[in-house]
Amino acid sequence: MGDDAVSSPLDSPSRPFVGPLGTRLRATVEVYGALFVQMLKVRLAYKADFFADLAATALGGLASLLFVFLLFLRAPELAGWSRDEILLIYGMSMISYGLFGCISWNLYEFGDRYIIQGQFDRVMLRPVGTYAQVLFDSFRIPALSECLIGAGVVAFAMQRLELVISGTDLFFAAVAVTSGFVIFTAVFSILASLSFHFEDRIGVSPPVFNMISFGRYPQTIFPSALRFVLRWVIPFGFVAFYPATGLLGRTPYRGLAVLSPLVAVAFCVLAYGFWRWGVRRYESTGF
Amino acid sequence: MTAVDVRDLRKTFRRFRRREGLGGALKDLVHRRSETIEAVNGITFSIEPGERVGYIGPNGAGKSTSVKMLTGILTPTSGRMQVLGMEPFRDRREYVQHIGVVFGQRTQLWWDLAVIESFRLLGKMYRLEPGRLDERLGELREILELDEFLHTPVRKLSLGQRMRADLAASLLHRPRLLFLDEPTIGLDLMAKDAIRSFLKQVNERFGTTILLTTHDLRDIEALTERVLVIDHGQLLFDGALDLLRGQADQESVAVLDFLEPPEPEALRGVGDWVRWTRLSSTRFEARFSKSDRSLARFLGKVVADFAVADVSLPEPSIEEVIRKIYQERRPEREVMA
Repeated sequence: MGDDAVSSPLDSPSRPFVGPLGTRLRATVEVYGALFVQMLKVRLAYKADFFADLAATALGGLASLLFVFLLFLRAPELAGWSRDEILLIYGMSMISYGLFGCISWNLYEFGDRYIIQGQFDRVMLRPVGTYAQVLFDSFRIPALSECLIGAGVVAFAMQRLELVISGTDLFFAAVAVTSGFVIFTAVFSILASLSFHFEDRIGVSPPVFNMISFGRYPQTIFPSALRFVLRWVIPFGFVAFYPATGLLGRTPYRGLAVLSPLVAVAFCVLAYGFWRWGVRRYESTGF
Repeated sequence: MTAVDVRDLRKTFRRFRRREGLGGALKDLVHRRSETIEAVNGITFSIEPGERVGYIGPNGAGKSTSVKMLTGILTPTSGRMQVLGMEPFRDRREYVQHIGVVFGQRTQLWWDLAVIESFRLLGKMYRLEPGRLDERLGELREILELDEFLHTPVRKLSLGQRMRADLAASLLHRPRLLFLDEPTIGLDLMAKDAIRSFLKQVNERFGTTILLTTHDLRDIEALTERVLVIDHGQLLFDGALDLLRGQADQESVAVLDFLEPPEPEALRGVGDWVRWTRLSSTRFEARFSKSDRSLARFLGKVVADFAVADVSLPEPSIEEVIRKIYQERRPEREVMA
C-alpha cells in the first residue's frame, strides 16, 4: 500500500479506542471478558493443576474458618457475638475477598511487576486505559473457590440463626458483598499508585493486606482507635461487619449498615485520583 | 508530511542519591540529596516516511529516554516533538494506534495464552474487525513462519519464535511507524538474518518507517541507510551509514601472516609511523594514518623485507567507527560501547 500507509494521521483502518465513555466501557468489557474466558480455558486445560490449585486455595480458606470454630469450642460468645453471627460476617468477607483475589490481585503485586520490572511501559503503549489494563491483566481463577466457601458459610450461618431472609435482604447482601470487593480493590489501587512515587519496594501493602482479617470480626472487640481506622481510613469494617449487622438486625449499627456502597464509591473516586496522579508522575519521571 | 520531527528535545530527571549504611539511610530520611541528570540534552532531527533509521549509542547515552518520549511513555521536559502529526504523550491513546513497538527483552504477549489468542486480544484492543485481523495474519504467517507455534502458549516459545510472535503482534494494526529496541538480541545468526530480512520487507511493502535501537551493529549494516549516534544526551552524528564509515577511513589497517615469527626490531624498522599489534606469534596487525603513507607503499616495503604468507585488509567495523567518534569528541572519557 506504499504511500497510502503514510498519508494523514486520521485515516487509520483501526477505529480508535477513544470517544464517549459508554463506547470505551463496552470496548473494555469486550477485551477483558475475552481475556477472562481465555484464562479460564487455559486453567481448565490442565485439569490436574487446576484442581490442585483449587484445593490448595480452598484449604487455606477452610483453615482460617477452622480457627473460628476452635475459638468457639472454648467460649460461647465473643463480646456478645455468637459463633454463627461471626460466621455470617466471615462468610460475607470471604466472598468479597475471593472476588478481589480473582480479579484484582494484580494490584497487590503492581509495584514489583509493573514498576520495578518495567511492565508499565507496555501498558502505556496500548490504546486502552492504563487502569483497566493493570486491573484486568490476569485473573486468578482458583481464588473463586474462596467465594464458594464463603457462600456456603453464609448459608450455613443464616440457617443456624434462623434468619428470615426476604428478597430485599438478598439484594442488600449482594450489594454489600460487591461493595466489599470494590473497597478491597480501591484500597489496594491506592497502595499500588504509591509505587509510582517511590522507586523502592515499599512494605505498605502486606500489613494492610493482613488487616483484611480485622474486617472479619465484630468491630466492637477492637480499641476505638483501630475501630476508627477500620471505618474511615482503611474501611475494611464496611466489607462485611457493618452490612452483616443490618442483616442481623443489631440496631446500634443500622445507620452504618447501609453505608457500604457509599464508602465503596467514595474510595473509588479517591483511588482514581491517586492513579491519575501516579501515571502523570510516571510520564514525567520515568524509571 | 514528516514522520518524526524533533526540535531541541530535552529531558531532565531529578534523582535522589542514597547514602550508604544505616546512618546514611537515617540522614536520607531527614534530608534527601538530589542530583539533576540531563538524560536528553537538546536533540534535533527529523525522519521522513518510509526511512529506516538506526539509533545507536552507549548505555546511558539517552537512547532509551528519547525512545520513551517518542513513543509517548515519557513527557519531554522541553522541546518540540511531532510524530505522525501528533504529540505522543498528549495524544497517547490516539497516537499509539499508529505505532508499533517491539522490545527485544520483553514480550507484549500474554505469557499463558496461545499466540493466536494474544493476537485476538490485541485485535480487540486495536478495534480490528475479525476479518481484518485474519487478513493481516495471513500476510504475516508465511514470512514469519507463525504456523508452527500459533497454538503454543507464549511461555513455551523459543526466543526466536517469541521474537517473531512479538513482531507480528506489533504489526497487526499496521502501524506507520515501528520502534524496535534490540530486536535481535540473544538470537542465533539464522534467526537474526530472518528478522532483518523480514523488517526490510515490511518497510518496502507497507512503507513502514523504522527506528531501530541496537547494540548489534550488523543490524544497522543490514537494515538502515541512516544512522543517528547519541551520547551524553546529544546527537553526535546524523547521516548515511557510508559517511559514518568514511569518518574512520583516515586510518589503514592490515593484518599480516608471516611465514615465521618476525623480529620485533625488524618490524620497528619498517617505520615509526606504523603501530604494530601482535595477534599471534606469526600474525600481526599494522595501523597507520593514511596521511603518512599509502597502503601500497607500506605493503611494498613489508613484502620486500619479510616472508609474508598472507595479507588481509579488514574493513573498519562500525564499532570502531563509533568508538572513534566518541574519542574525538570526548577524549577524556572511557568508552563503553
